[in-house]
Amino acid sequence: MSEEFNDNKTIHAQSSETISGGGSSAAPDIDYVRPAEVEEQDLYHGHSFITKWVFCQDAKVIGVQYFLLATFTGIVGLILSWLMRLQLGFPGAAGFMTAEHYYQFVTMHGMIMVVYFLTALFLGGFGNYLIPLMVGARDMVFPYLNMVSFWMFFIAVGVLMASFFVPGGPTGAGWTLYPPQTILEGTPGSGAGILLMCLSLILFVAGFTMGGLNYLITILQARTRGMTLMRMPLTVWGIFTATVLAMLAFPALLVGALMMSLDKVLGTSFFMPTILKAGEVLEYGGGSPILFQHLFWFFGHPEVYIVALPAFGIVSDLISVHSRKNIFGYRMMVWAIVGIGALSFFVWAHHMYVSGMNPWFGFFFATTTLIIAVPTAMKVYNWILTLWRGNIRMNTVMLWCLGFIVTFVNGGITGIFLGNVSVDVPLSDTYFVIAHFHMVMGIAPLMVIMGAVYHWFPLVSGRFLDEKLGKWHFWTTFLGAYSIYFPMHYLGFIGVPRRYFEMYDSPYMTSAVGMNEFISLAAFLVGAAQFILIYNIIKTLKTGKRAGSNPWKACSLEWLTPSVPPEHGNWGDRLPVVHRWCYDYSVPGAKEDFITQTTPPSEVQNTGVEKT
Amino acid sequence: MSDPKIEGLELKPGFRGMAQDTGSDQTMFKGVHWGKAMMWIFLLSDTFIFSCFLISYMKGRGSTPVEWPNPSEVFALNAFGVPVPLLLIAIMTFVLITSSGTMALAVKYGYEKNRKMCGWLVLATALGGLTFVGMQAFEWSKLIHEGVRPWENPFGAPQFGSFFFMITGFHGTHVTFGVIFLFIYAYKVFAGHYDEGKRGWFTTMKGDYVEIEILGLYWHFVDLVWVFIFAFFYLW
Amino acid sequence: MDETKKKEQASTHKIGIYLWIWGLLFVLSFFSYMVDWYQFQGMLRWSLILFFMFLKAGLIMAFFMHLFWERYALVNVLLWPMTAIACFIFLMVAEFEYTLFTRIFYFAVGG
Repeated sequence: MSEEFNDNKTIHAQSSETISGGGSSAAPDIDYVRPAEVEEQDLYHGHSFITKWVFCQDAKVIGVQYFLLATFTGIVGLILSWLMRLQLGFPGAAGFMTAEHYYQFVTMHGMIMVVYFLTALFLGGFGNYLIPLMVGARDMVFPYLNMVSFWMFFIAVGVLMASFFVPGGPTGAGWTLYPPQTILEGTPGSGAGILLMCLSLILFVAGFTMGGLNYLITILQARTRGMTLMRMPLTVWGIFTATVLAMLAFPALLVGALMMSLDKVLGTSFFMPTILKAGEVLEYGGGSPILFQHLFWFFGHPEVYIVALPAFGIVSDLISVHSRKNIFGYRMMVWAIVGIGALSFFVWAHHMYVSGMNPWFGFFFATTTLIIAVPTAMKVYNWILTLWRGNIRMNTVMLWCLGFIVTFVNGGITGIFLGNVSVDVPLSDTYFVIAHFHMVMGIAPLMVIMGAVYHWFPLVSGRFLDEKLGKWHFWTTFLGAYSIYFPMHYLGFIGVPRRYFEMYDSPYMTSAVGMNEFISLAAFLVGAAQFILIYNIIKTLKTGKRAGSNPWKACSLEWLTPSVPPEHGNWGDRLPVVHRWCYDYSVPGAKEDFITQTTPPSEVQNTGVEKT
Repeated sequence: MSDPKIEGLELKPGFRGMAQDTGSDQTMFKGVHWGKAMMWIFLLSDTFIFSCFLISYMKGRGSTPVEWPNPSEVFALNAFGVPVPLLLIAIMTFVLITSSGTMALAVKYGYEKNRKMCGWLVLATALGGLTFVGMQAFEWSKLIHEGVRPWENPFGAPQFGSFFFMITGFHGTHVTFGVIFLFIYAYKVFAGHYDEGKRGWFTTMKGDYVEIEILGLYWHFVDLVWVFIFAFFYLW
Repeated sequence: MDETKKKEQASTHKIGIYLWIWGLLFVLSFFSYMVDWYQFQGMLRWSLILFFMFLKAGLIMAFFMHLFWERYALVNVLLWPMTAIACFIFLMVAEFEYTLFTRIFYFAVGG
């Protein structure tokens, strides 16, 4: 067994060494970096297929596993949205579709996309792959727990998918699962469906907690020498803050799901008020439905930022690399991420303006909501100022980033509408809301994911994705997404309610018929365009252009591994030593237009490099 | 546990030290084992779980128009023919605090690499926890016998039973898991796994007495939650 | 990190401090039990319950969980998130009062 471990061979050599190797030279050594505080991690190296690729403890493999499984659930969610659009654009075209089916598809689409797709993809996928590489660690601090985390997620997805096949089908209560109707007869899936949903969420939270602890502690306690918090890439900052939010917000979801299951199974009345049904009083009584809404949104609003913050972080890095400029206002960006994260716990009830909560809450939550727009707007300005006079490479990655900025500004502005009570009341539960949140937390983060895939695919596989296919993919998605969601704002203004199976022929709806057909056609097209990426990936793996090391000429650590793609343990014999932040692009006087994080100061003397 | 000594870094105290630690490279919590930091963050997350439970309890109890049962009477126990309020709960509190104390000492002896003392104290903690779980089972069966159910009870608002069983049940689950781990760790201490740095069965990580401190944090947290449950559920 | 340094770091506290805290916890638990025994009611009861509760929780965290000896970086990371909980508590107090008000208003008074 002993050859499976490193057994800390290199520690002593490393902790007493300074980088220039000249501890004896007389001048104060400008390249000095403090020695290592802790022993090197000893890793378990799998040898069999099972320990290397299935129950694998390597964060990079776990990241890819997360990515693939999340993509699978995302495709399920996409197909559900196709079915919904088919019904809305062409009522009755899908023969089997009843109102019950429609509600079930709405619910599952929402839950899958928010929790099992975006959260898992950003934190589980990108988090696992990038955190250890970007902070210069060999792996996550607790690889075994990390592995268990993925397999809990796997089971959670399995349970969720199983709910499609139980009697009564999956729950159809809307992704917010509001009681009392969620567990009352008459709502589709009020039996086994809702129970499996709650179970799946509980499993997801448990699994995510294991992963999240790893991400946080790896960032806090396992950075390499010289890597201060303020030298980390914004990607890591975004994922870090999002994970903090997840660790503190998921408990509310867990508690809500648990209490809901008890209401269903044991007949407790946590959320169930006294209910009259067909003239008869049900067994339930005295509970508080609005309590669930508070618990749900105490989770739900930070969840929005769990999806958005990693996107903010990643897009900052992509923009910086591909416009060859340092990110404008790095510290401001960090504080904006942290500030948004902290504020996100104080805004939740802006989702509940029409719920019948204490009416005074409107003042508090409208105020905090508008305050949170300030750091968000700062970030947008900084992205634009990063692009300003940059040496912009108009490749696929940059296109996705620009698409993100535009889409995010769009969704953000409608968010300011909805944050105000008096504007929200007539607009809530209309297609305006659908348009708003799909723009801001659906399409915008998705664009970042796509950009990130095109950016980091050469690292993961060693090959470039095809640019031509990539541009087709981008333009179809971008124009198509706008064709879907721009008209929806208008639908919302004329009062088309969300979650309606069919508009029938009410006179004021007839003007929306043509628009609904158009939206549906665009939705089919955009969905289909995503398969270009899958084709591109398969094609690239076989015949793509080889990338070599550091193909984008980036500064951050993940591109500086001794082998590409990086192997288990990431760094070969010795860990990298960091001397600067990861945004030294186009430094005046430097030989090249980028200075990697590991370049010691003595090599870049007489350049305009900033001290970071 | 005075400040750790770190090569090449003079640690400052107080808030200036906090700024220094946060701004430095490698680690933010200087001298803290990663496992301990991880347990702390987990406990923070767990605190949010229990807070959500207790906040729900407050909201449920506060908004029910039916009268809430008087815990002082519901949880009374007959001793020598006289009903003594909260007798069992008082004993349970006593047992849990006792086990918390033995755990604190176990951590101390663990750091001194005193295998025997550490092992016996962890074992004592485990037995204390087991006693607590047993008494909780007794309390539950007594209440169930009196007709308290999660969905109804003879004393007043039905939410009383719901919240009682859910919150004490969730806490009891924590205690039970703690007891299981305490027994395992007691075995590992006695077998000398932490002296030899023997690798864990599943995690393949080298054993170290710091694991006793990490387990200790969890156990004290369980005790801490009980302080809040005792105040809010039994006394309030 | 070599062996001697590890030993140095592991320097522990005197056993007396733990015994003291242990004793204090018993005494405080006894006091909070007495609050119920003597059937104090109203504000006095609640303030006493909360006082003993926070004192006990503080002692456990500070000494048994060693937070008193930890550096401020860890302490602050652990305590600041409690503001979100505090906000949640205050808002839910306002909320349950409002729910109770509407219930009594519509059911008992009849709107």
